[in-house]
This record gives sequence, structure tokens and C-alpha cells, in this order.
Amino acid sequence: MAGDGVSEAKTIGSYYRETALDHLDALYGFAVTLTADQIEAQDLLQETYLRAFGACELLMPDSNLKAWLFVIMRNIWLNQIRHRRSGPEFVEIEEQESPRTPWLESGTEDPLKLLLKKVERERVRDAIAQLPQPYREVVVLRDLEGFTYQQIAGIIGCPTGTVMSRLARGREKLRLLLARWKLEVMSKATANKEL
Amino acid sequence: MNECDYIESRRSFYLDDELRADERVVFEEHLDRCQSCRDEVTEERQFLEGLRQAGPLYEAPVELRRRIEEIASRGGLRDVTPVGTESPSHSLRSQSWLLGSGFARSWFARLGRIERVASLSAIGILVALLGIYYLRGAEPPLTGVPSGFAKLAVEAHQQHLGGELSLEISSTSPEVVSDWFSGQVSFSVKLPNYQEASGQDQLYQIEGGRVVQFNNDPAAYVSYQMDKQPISLLVTTDSVAAPSGGEEVVSKGITFHYDTIDGFKVITWSDRGLTYALVSNLKERGQQSCLVCHQGTRDKDFLEGFNAGASAPGQSYRIWSSATTVRPLRRFGWVRIRLPNGASD
Repeated sequence: MAGDGVSEAKTIGSYYRETALDHLDALYGFAVTLTADQIEAQDLLQETYLRAFGACELLMPDSNLKAWLFVIMRNIWLNQIRHRRSGPEFVEIEEQESPRTPWLESGTEDPLKLLLKKVERERVRDAIAQLPQPYREVVVLRDLEGFTYQQIAGIIGCPTGTVMSRLARGREKLRLLLARWKLEVMSKATANKEL
Repeated sequence: MNECDYIESRRSFYLDDELRADERVVFEEHLDRCQSCRDEVTEERQFLEGLRQAGPLYEAPVELRRRIEEIASRGGLRDVTPVGTESPSHSLRSQSWLLGSGFARSWFARLGRIERVASLSAIGILVALLGIYYLRGAEPPLTGVPSGFAKLAVEAHQQHLGGELSLEISSTSPEVVSDWFSGQVSFSVKLPNYQEASGQDQLYQIEGGRVVQFNNDPAAYVSYQMDKQPISLLVTTDSVAAPSGGEEVVSKGITFHYDTIDGFKVITWSDRGLTYALVSNLKERGQQSCLVCHQGTRDKDFLEGFNAGASAPGQSYRIWSSATTVRPLRRFGWVRIRLPNGASD
């Protein structure tokens, strides 16, 4: 088991280390979801990758790498919370944009559409940030990251039924928040027209 | 509940592609003939698509991405060795191991080891201990840092739940799983056979096992299911891992460490040369919880402690569990423990 097994594990580990980088933004988004703080999210992301990279050899060839990374991240975060002997802190999310994505520099899409998408994205982000933590993480995992109910249950360590109920409540709250925003936008537009 | 109410209750599952094929057929047949439900599904679909299209909500800063790519290029190691980084076995027991930068590297380096230690010893598995965890009733106060072994057990449990820790042997036969461990770990594993032990209702079922690395030694990971609730058992020798942290309760000379890690219940203990960690997410508390596992009429001795006594090397003995209240009990199971040759109690 030592010879071929070790080299095979190293090959798998190397492959997973490369592939793991594909999920960097998704994990960063989840880190912000958990920490509600972009600086803390950066530390969490780095620690997640450090731990994951060191353990990639453990993974089987058909492993769900993405779900595994999310589990690691959440575990690190929970352990950090426990270590501090306090619950997660809900702080203002910085609105600073990442310099990596120039929103309006794409040559393939209509700048107006991109601008609208950016505005919509910010609204969705704000609304999600207002959700209570248990709802927030389930909504992000399902509606933004596309995990199945069962995968989410595995990531957050609770029964599938809990995932379903949290998702339903989270979406309901999200819908209300976004509907409120749309109403405000519409009333502002009406007011502008009247002027 | 009329048909439209039913459809409404399943709408999210339909849009999340979580319906079974037959349910999906029924759902779509209803939509074909019900404009109102069709409109609601369309509206909900638009809402969800709007959410999905809004992603990704955040993008990692360039500098952070670069740092992580650098780490990947070094095979996952940090570029600077922290001052005072401990040896793997030491740091594992360090109270700050979870957050220490040395932890990540040493922990997973150990996990990644493929080599097997060839020394011979023997073990028994105390699956019947699950219920004692709940004996104290309410959630026990934490009095210390849980052992690295307990944390590994929880990590393995979570990974198995998430489908990330596949079993190397899958079988509902304790004998088959026990035999598989022969040569895989440095001790012999004898898992309990429920039917053999009780002849009563099967409360739990073994799923299989695999080897995981702890402190450069292979540990035996065994997975069970009880009422669709997963239970994980991790075993190694007490020279490799020692239980610590949590609330300590001594029963008949054995110290049990009760803890909650990442929301999972963990009990760790050492006995006769072996260290065990049992992980579950059963919700029950107090005496009633004991009945989950210890529903056996011959379990009387267990909750008062172990009916173990001294065993000679190579000898088998039974561990009975007990519960004395509420309703007739059925035994969870029993375990034969074969001590290593020359081992002393």
C-alpha cells in the first residue's frame, strides 16, 4: 500500500489542489456569509485552503471537492467562534469592490445591462446580508452555489428537513426584502416622473 | 389538503430538482391543467433565477488569490515556518492547535500519510457506549479542550456525512468489516454482531469502515446508522491518542470525556490499551436518550458502569449496557475484546 498508493495519492492531491482554486470566489462568498466581514473572510479563506491543500491526498478520485471545501471552511469558522467563546459578530459589510473584476470593462455585454446587473447584485447581496445567519448560509449554499439539500445538510451538519425549512424561511424573508426594495425603486421612479 | 395546496407545498422541491421522478410526474401533470399553480411556479422560478444570476456576490481580492495560488504551488505549505512549531504529536495535543498555523500543516500531513505501522496489538470496540453520553441529562459544560482524536473523529464524521469520506469496506456484516481491518490497522477489530447478541429488534446497522490516519498511525473508522442517523466510531491505541477535555465522568475506573464539537456529540475514552471516539448527532437528552441505544432487558449493569473486570490476554468478555427506567429495554449490542498478547490491564 505504501509505494503505488503514495504516488497515486500525491497525484490526486496535486490534481485537487489545482481544481480547488476554481472554487475560490465561491468559498470567499461563503466566508463573507459566515463572517459578515470581508477582512475576516480573507483569513478564513486562506486558512481553509491551507488545511485543504494539506489534506487533498486523502480525497478519493470521485470526491465532491467543492462540498468538501465548504465543510472545511465552516468547521474552521465554528472552531474559531468557539475559541473566542462568543457568537458570530454581525458587522457592517464593506461595500468595497474587488479590483479583480472590472464591472464595466467587458466588451461582450451591453454596459447598461452590466450596470443593472451590478445594482441588482448589490441589492441581493444586501438582502442576503440581512438574513439571520442560519438562513443566510443555507440560501447561499443552495441558491448561489447550487448544492443539493443533502449536500447542504452534510456541510452544515444538520438534517435535510432542517435545511428545507431554513431555506423556505430564508427565501421568504429574502423575497420580502427584495420586494420592499423594488417598491422603493418604483415609488422613486413615479416621483421622478411626476417632477 | 387539496391538490393545489399539495402542489404549493412541493413547489420549492420541484424547482430545486429535489422531487422524485414519480412526484415530478404528478407535479407536472397538475401544472398542465392548473393555470394558477403554473403561474405561481413561473413566478417562483423567476425569483430563484434572479438570485442565481446575481451571483457570485463576492469575488476574492487579487492579492488574496495570488497568495493562495502560491500556497497551492508549494503543495499547501505556508512559506514561513512559525517559531515554536511543535512536532505533530505534540501540537495535536496543544490547546491552541486548531487555530495555530502549525496545526493545519501537521494535522493534514498526518492524515495524508499512507504508511502503515506494522506492530501488532489487539482491540475491541465498545459500540454500546453511545447511550452513556446522555446519562448526564443536559448538555455538559465544557471544562477543557477536546482531544485531537475527538476532533478527528468529528471531522471524519462530518466528511462522511458530506460524502467526502468514502468507506473502504461497505458491508452490513460486522464480521466482514472486522475481517477487513485485519492488516489495515495495528490492532485486531472485533465488531459486535447485533443479532448474535440480542435476537431483538435491530436498532442500528453497521455500514462499513475505513482507515484514517492519526498521529502517523492508522485508526479504524467505523460507520453505523441508527434510525437514519449516522454514528461514527474511531479507534486507535492509547499510545497514539489520549482522551481529554469536555466533562469527565468516571465510571468503574474508566474516564469518559463528554463533549460537543461542531454541534456533534462526542464521547471519548480509553480502555485496555485502546482509545475510542464515538460521534453522533442524536438529539435526545437525559435518561430517555439512553434508551435510544440501551433498549435491552439485560443492560442493567451498563449505566452503573462497566461489568468488565480483568481479562486475561486474548480473552473475550462482554460489556452489557443498562437502563432502568421508563420502559423495557433492549440491548444495543455487545463487544468482544481481545487483548493483545502480553498486554496487561
